Amino acid sequence: MLELRRLTAGYGNDAVLHGIDLAVAEGRITALIGANGAGKSTLAKTISGLLPARDGQILFEGAAIETLSSTARVELGIVHVPEGRQIIGSFTVEENLRLGAYLQRRALGERGIAARIDEVCGYFPVLRERLGGVAGNLSGGQQQMLAIARALMLRPRLIVLDEPSLGLSPALVTEIFALVTQLRDRGLAVLLSEQNARMSLAIADHAYVLETGRVTLEGPGRELLARPEIAERYLGVAPQGDEQSTAAEDRAMAEGLARILAV
Amino acid sequence: MEQFAQIIIGGLLQGSVFAVIALGLSLVFRVTGIINLAQGGFCILGALTLYTLEADYGWPVPLAVLAAVAITTLVGLGLGAASFVPSLQRLPNSSMLMLTAGLMTAIEGLALVVWGSQPYAVPPFSGERPIVLLGLRLPSQGLWIAGAAVLIILSVWYALARTAVGKALLACAENPMAARLMGVDVRRLTLVSFGLTALIGALGGIAVAPIMSFQFDTGRFFTNAGFIAVAIGGMSSLGGAVAGGLFLGVAEQLAAAYVSSLFATAVSLALLLVTLVWRPSGLFAPSRQRRQDVREELRVHRAIVRFKGRGALVGGLVVLALLAVLPAIVDGGTMSSLVIALILFIAVLGLDVLMGYTGQVNLGQSGFMAIGGYTAAILATGYGLPPLLGLVAGIGISLACALVLSMVTLRLRGAYLALATLTFGLLVDSLTVGLGDLTGGPSGLVGIPAFSVAGFAFDTPQSLYYLVLGLALVLVLGLMGGMRSGFGRALQAIRTDQMAAAALGINVVRYKMAAFGICAALGSIAGSLYAFDFHFLAPEMVGTARSFEMIAMLIIGGEGTLVGGLIGALLITLLPTIFQPLAAYKIMAEGLLLVLVFQFMPDGLLGTGMRALSRLPAGGPRPGRLTEQTR
Repeated sequence: MLELRRLTAGYGNDAVLHGIDLAVAEGRITALIGANGAGKSTLAKTISGLLPARDGQILFEGAAIETLSSTARVELGIVHVPEGRQIIGSFTVEENLRLGAYLQRRALGERGIAARIDEVCGYFPVLRERLGGVAGNLSGGQQQMLAIARALMLRPRLIVLDEPSLGLSPALVTEIFALVTQLRDRGLAVLLSEQNARMSLAIADHAYVLETGRVTLEGPGRELLARPEIAERYLGVAPQGDEQSTAAEDRAMAEGLARILAV
Repeated sequence: MEQFAQIIIGGLLQGSVFAVIALGLSLVFRVTGIINLAQGGFCILGALTLYTLEADYGWPVPLAVLAAVAITTLVGLGLGAASFVPSLQRLPNSSMLMLTAGLMTAIEGLALVVWGSQPYAVPPFSGERPIVLLGLRLPSQGLWIAGAAVLIILSVWYALARTAVGKALLACAENPMAARLMGVDVRRLTLVSFGLTALIGALGGIAVAPIMSFQFDTGRFFTNAGFIAVAIGGMSSLGGAVAGGLFLGVAEQLAAAYVSSLFATAVSLALLLVTLVWRPSGLFAPSRQRRQDVREELRVHRAIVRFKGRGALVGGLVVLALLAVLPAIVDGGTMSSLVIALILFIAVLGLDVLMGYTGQVNLGQSGFMAIGGYTAAILATGYGLPPLLGLVAGIGISLACALVLSMVTLRLRGAYLALATLTFGLLVDSLTVGLGDLTGGPSGLVGIPAFSVAGFAFDTPQSLYYLVLGLALVLVLGLMGGMRSGFGRALQAIRTDQMAAAALGINVVRYKMAAFGICAALGSIAGSLYAFDFHFLAPEMVGTARSFEMIAMLIIGGEGTLVGGLIGALLITLLPTIFQPLAAYKIMAEGLLLVLVFQFMPDGLLGTGMRALSRLPAGGPRPGRLTEQTR
């Protein structure tokens, strides 16, 4: 669905991404893991058009989109939930959601928008309770949910989630990840950029490891989870540690997650 | 009772004008977070264009009104597309404020070139005969003004509160990135709102044109009144802007009727200062409660350009030597301009400490010049005190005022700080006019002696030049040392991130007050020297226009460089002297220069020059190493 070919981008005179090749498949979770400064957020911004691509191609369903404005990319169905949530703090929850449907405001009409609000609140019951409340007063977790809900207002085809678990408590992180799989199960393509490698690899269909602006490793999520170099660098496991048992732990955790999802 | 009602009607009329301008300001503020000081310029452009079309080309009123509004809106869109919108994403808010001040100056200059400096008056739209209603006389133009105000207010309110595009505009203001990610075309909407304010400004200016006489620089009055109204009412509330405008109009008319017309402005300014202390967010602003951990300003300040090493020393000595031999070369007229430039440079130095290093906006530096100037002049002429004593007394009073003012402003930031300092300048301005017995009123104070120390009078331009040059040198060297010390680093920390500075244990309050004190003292010294230089002092010599001029000098030369201000002061003071025939273009050039420097070389002439030199290959002239931490 989305394909990056030799993508290069950066700020000022410095390139941050050096020739990235990456693909996001329809109805799949594609995870992007890497340390701080690896270029994950830069990649997300380049896909959504906040940052111009310096070289290379971005293909969405086979058509090159790297020269399109961010507005045009949203119209195509690519939405980006940026790091740090970026909700409009002075708006109410409902006003934030309405802003999400800005591009389709005419096509949807008042009733259509109300139906969409109802639809996304189905994912986040807590937002339904606080529709009239000021968004800036929501807790961090609720703000993250609002940011995702707002992105869903347009019924996108691809959602780019940048660090959705940042600064959230473990229970909330699990909830967010459960939601991500739920979105995938409804047919949405998800590009999930995360520092929480353990969890994102556990739910990802395919994953890429980004290091200093280059893809150093890729493969199915579970497979990467079992690789010793991943365990060492991103899962906080000492290199001399018992690889068998950490892999077993990871599997147990993934199964735990699956149980939560099944409920 | 009837008289009282008549005064109230007059106040509401005047107030509706303020309300319309305040609406324009409030609209741009809500959408961009910037106070657009050029707003009054659109009023004046609209009114003057209307005059030309109506009086010179004989167009019928309705057609002339439409054309004047259209032309002004186009000018607004042009300025917005060329400067305001592209700069918005690159410059911090305080610089944007100055950029709009530059736009304002450029519009004034344009008006001066096109229409000259004489006052104009447009005939009322529907005759001179007032309408009598319930025994009260109502000028018919009043209905046009009220009608225009209601129309604008209702349409703006509807657009923002009830339409999706309006909501998108508000989202752009608060979080442009989030708005873009939702598919909102931020640049286009910002431009649209800027064009809208030009349209609103033009409509307001045109509606009031028949009840007042106006000239190229009346726009400043409009901007100031609108700015004050919007602050009294609440910056980001449209209803507040309207209420603030009406309130201000009535207050001014009542003050003029029952106190003195000379103090009408002073009363409204005092009112504003009280508002800022008591309820900084405005009297009529209904505010939604929200968490405060959201960073208000997203854009970062630029790093300060620093020069080090032998090259800087050599360069400085060369410039100093050049300045020392200048009096031997130049003619008399240029000589007196040089003296003025150096005197203003001292006030600009103070501004640089406060604005360049500490990041605090000060639109009222001329107020301190006025205090210093008038204190020294009154003490010297009325009481025969020696000039040096007058100068010192001026510093004392300025520092006292700075102390009081900083108590008001310490809690304020950004646009509110700009407003409070502007208010201070305007207040001093209106007091110098109002206290005629003491200051000689609008016609000025004459017979001020030359500056003298211990019997030696600096009564020739040359002697005064060397005195001021010496003083400036001592100040620059002293401040350079100061800015490299822990004190200077603390100021720069506050400039970059006040919260982080406080978290590091920097006593933000004390450092800000110290910077403000330095700024006030230097402004005061410059004001005193200015009075002694001219032997004469009138309010407009140290009026608010001077504040903006000094800011232009600072920006053009380079903020945070100390010496950069000298380039700006010399350029702005000397250019009209050197190119006499171009004097009419001075104001426009000043404004355009300010805008262009902001857009294309935010480090100023000096900063940009030094950066360019430091990039030269080794072997070329190296004025010093630049340290830079921009990201």
